[in-house]
Amino acid sequence: MTFVMAVCVAVVFGVSIYMLLGRELKGLAMGVFLLGHAANLCILAQSGSPVLPDGEGLKAPPVLSHGDYEAAAHGGEALSRMVDPLPQALILTAIVISFAVMAFLLTLIIVSARKTNTLDINELGKEQLPTPSQAH
Amino acid sequence: MINHQIILFMAIPLAAGLISVTTAKNLFLSRLIGCVSLGGMVTMGVILLWLSHRDDVIYVSQLGNWQAPFGISIIFDSLSGLLITAASTVALGAYIHSFDMLEPDIERRYYHPLIQLLIFGVNLSFLTGDLFNLFVAFEIMLLASYALLTLGGTRKQLTQAYKYVLLNLLASTIFVMTAGMVYGMFGTLNMADLARIVHEIQADPDRELPTGFTALSITLLLVFGLKGAFFPLWFWLPDTYYTCPISIAGLFGGVLTKVGVYSVARTFPLIFAVGEGSQLIILIIAVASAFTMFLGVLGAVSQHEIRRILSIHVISQIGYMMFGIAIMTGWALAGCVFFMIHNMVVKCALFLCCGAMEKHAGTDDLDRLGGLLKRDVFLAVLFFIAALSLVGLPPLSGFFGKLVIIREGWPYYWGTLSIVGLLTGSLTLLSMLKIWGYGFWNPTPKAHPIRTDAPTVKRNLKAAYTGIVFLVGTALFLGFAAEPVCQVALRAGEQLEDPVPYISAVLRIDPDVLRVSLEAPAAPQVTLSAAAEASP
Amino acid sequence: MTSLILQTASKLIVPLALLFAAYMTLKGHNAPGGGFIGGLCFAVTLILLRMGVGPEVFNRMVPLHPRVLVFVGLAVAFLTGLVPLLMGYPFLTSYVTDLQLPLGASVHFASALFFDVGVLLVVVGTSVGMILRLSQEVEA
Repeated sequence: MTFVMAVCVAVVFGVSIYMLLGRELKGLAMGVFLLGHAANLCILAQSGSPVLPDGEGLKAPPVLSHGDYEAAAHGGEALSRMVDPLPQALILTAIVISFAVMAFLLTLIIVSARKTNTLDINELGKEQLPTPSQAH
Repeated sequence: MINHQIILFMAIPLAAGLISVTTAKNLFLSRLIGCVSLGGMVTMGVILLWLSHRDDVIYVSQLGNWQAPFGISIIFDSLSGLLITAASTVALGAYIHSFDMLEPDIERRYYHPLIQLLIFGVNLSFLTGDLFNLFVAFEIMLLASYALLTLGGTRKQLTQAYKYVLLNLLASTIFVMTAGMVYGMFGTLNMADLARIVHEIQADPDRELPTGFTALSITLLLVFGLKGAFFPLWFWLPDTYYTCPISIAGLFGGVLTKVGVYSVARTFPLIFAVGEGSQLIILIIAVASAFTMFLGVLGAVSQHEIRRILSIHVISQIGYMMFGIAIMTGWALAGCVFFMIHNMVVKCALFLCCGAMEKHAGTDDLDRLGGLLKRDVFLAVLFFIAALSLVGLPPLSGFFGKLVIIREGWPYYWGTLSIVGLLTGSLTLLSMLKIWGYGFWNPTPKAHPIRTDAPTVKRNLKAAYTGIVFLVGTALFLGFAAEPVCQVALRAGEQLEDPVPYISAVLRIDPDVLRVSLEAPAAPQVTLSAAAEASP
Repeated sequence: MTSLILQTASKLIVPLALLFAAYMTLKGHNAPGGGFIGGLCFAVTLILLRMGVGPEVFNRMVPLHPRVLVFVGLAVAFLTGLVPLLMGYPFLTSYVTDLQLPLGASVHFASALFFDVGVLLVVVGTSVGMILRLSQEVEA
C-alpha cells in the first residue's frame, strides 16, 4: 500500500511540476492544483495504512494510545487499531488553504488576461520596459 | 490570567479586519479602526513584554483548553514578544504613511482588512507553538501579501505577482509535506514536545535519532530560506518588492522576511540543529549567511534606483541575522534578535523616506534626483538618521546588534564571518551614502528639473511624515535606550539556547525533572566550535 | 442554460440536500462531519439551485450577497471563541452539556456548535462567492 501511495505521489508531483514549468497560465493553475494534491497524498501516506489486519503498518493515534484499556473494558474495539485522525485534519486544513490560493490564482489569471490579452507568461513579461526606472 | 490574554494579539487584528470590511467605503473610519488596532497591539506588546521580563515567565495559552502536545498552544516568550511589538510598530508606521501614498480608490478595495489580516498572520507565526500552525500562519500572511502586492493591478505588478505566488506556493507545499513527515516520524507537531523528544534521544547513548531527520531539517531550512530570502534562494525578492506601493513595500521589507528568519531562530536551536546532522546544518547556515551578507550588499551598491537598493539591502541584512543564528551561543542569538527588531524598524523607515522622496521628485532614479536637502531639510535629517542606523554607527540602533554578533563570531571559522560582516558594513555605508549624495546633497540635475512645488508636497505629506517620524523615533529609542531592550533580547537569547524553560512552560513539566532527563552526563554539547573543527 | 430535467430534478434534490447539510453540521461534534463539510454540501446545493432555476430567479430567491455570509460567519465563530476568554478560560474553550428533554431523551450539546455554524456560513459564503464571481466572467 505504501508503495502504491509513493508511486501516486511521485506521478502527481511529476505532472504538476511539468505543468508548472510550462508557459501557459491555465496549465500553471492546474499545476498548482495538482501540487496541493500531491502534498496531501504524501501526508496521507505518512499517516499509515488502516487496512493491515495484524496491526503492522498501523500508526497508533497519539491521543488515544492510553484509551485502549478503557475502550476494551467497555466492549469496544481497541482504539489503537483506528487510523490516526490527525494527518487527516492536517490535510483538511491544507485543502482549505489551497482552495483559497487557487481562487486567488484564478482571479489573478483572469485579471491579467483581461488587462494584457494574453495567457502566455512570456508575453506577459515582454512589454515591460527594459529599464525599470520609469516613474512609479 | 494574563496567560489567556495573549490570544488578543490575534483577536484584535481579526476583529479590526472584520469591522473594517463593513466600513470599507468610509476611509476615515477604516483608518481609525486600523490605527486603534495596531496601536493597541504595540501598547499591549510593550506591557506584556515588561511583565514577562519582570516576572521571568513565559505566557502559554492552550487554545480550547486542550493540553499541550495534543492541542494548539500559543506561546509568548521574550523572542515572540520583541518581534510582535516590533512588527506592530512597523505596521503602524507604514500604515499611517500609506494614507498619503495610496490612491483613495485603491484604499477602498479592502486595503484596510488586508493589512489587519497580514498582521494577524505575522502575529500568529510569532506566537504559535507548533509546526503546522506555523504553516497556517505563513499561509494567512502570504495570502494577504499576495492581495496587497497586486493592489492597483498594474501590468508590472501582475507579472511579478506570478513569480512571488508560485515560489511561495512551492515553498508552502514543501513545508506542509515536511510537517507531515515530522509528524510521521515523531507523532507530534508541538515544538516543545518535539524538542523534548529530540533532546531525550540525544541524551540517551542507546538511542538514535530516526533516519532522515537531518534531511527533514535541511528541507525545512530550504522552506524558511525561501521565505526569508537566504543566499541561493533570494532571487525573487528584489523584483517583487519594488513593484508594489511604497508603504506596502516598506511593510513587506520590514516584516515578511523576518518571519522566515524567526522560524529558523525558533526551530533550529530548539529542534532541528540537534544531533549528528547539526554540524552540517550549522555549516550550511554559516556559509549561506556569508554569501547572503556580501552578495546582497554588492547587489545594493551596483543598483541605481532607491527602491532596488533598499530591496536588495533587505537580503544583505538577513545575512547578519543568519550569522547570529549560525554561532548559536546565547549572546549571538540575543544579538540576532536585537538586530532583527532594529532592522525591521529601520528598513521600513528607509522605504517610507523613499516614498516621500518620490513624491518630491516623481522618480526614485538616482540620476534624476538631487537637491532634496534644500527642498526638504526635515526629510533629509530623518533619512540620515535612518541610514546611519542601518549602517550601525555607534550611538544608533544598528550598532549594538552588529557588535554582539561580530564579537561572538570572532572565534569561529578563523573570524572569516566577522570579517565579511565588517566588510559588508562598510559597503552598506557606501550604498547609503550613494543615496544621500545623489538624492540629497547633489544639486538637481539640469536635464531633469523637479517640477513639483516643495511646500505643496510637504503639506500633502503630513501623514507620511508622521509615519516616518514614528519609526525613526523608535529607531532612536532602540539606540539610546538600548540597555532595557538588550536585557530582554539577552533573555530571548538564553531562552533559545537553553530549551528547558520553554519546554517546561509549554508541557507543564517541572524544569528540574526535565533537565535531568534531557542532560545525560556524556552528551556532548554540539556547538559551532565542534563544527569548525570538523570542517577541513 | 436551464433545462427542464435539471429544473425538475433540482426541486427534488435541493430540499433533501439542504437537510443532509444540516445533518452533517449537527453531527460533526463527535463524528465525521462538521461545519466545513456541511458548508460544502450547502454550497453545492445552492449552485445546483442556481443552475436549475437560472441566475435571475436565483438572485431573487437568495437576495444576500455571499460576502455577507462570510462576514457573519467569521463574526459568529470569532465571538464563540471570545466568550470563554471573557470567563477566564482559554480562547475557543467549548462548554459541553447534556440537555434533558421531555420523555427522558437528552441531547449532547457543545458550544462548539456555534463555531461550526460560523464555519458553515464562511464556507458557503466563500465557495458560492468564488464560483458566482468566476461564472459571471464566463456568462458575461
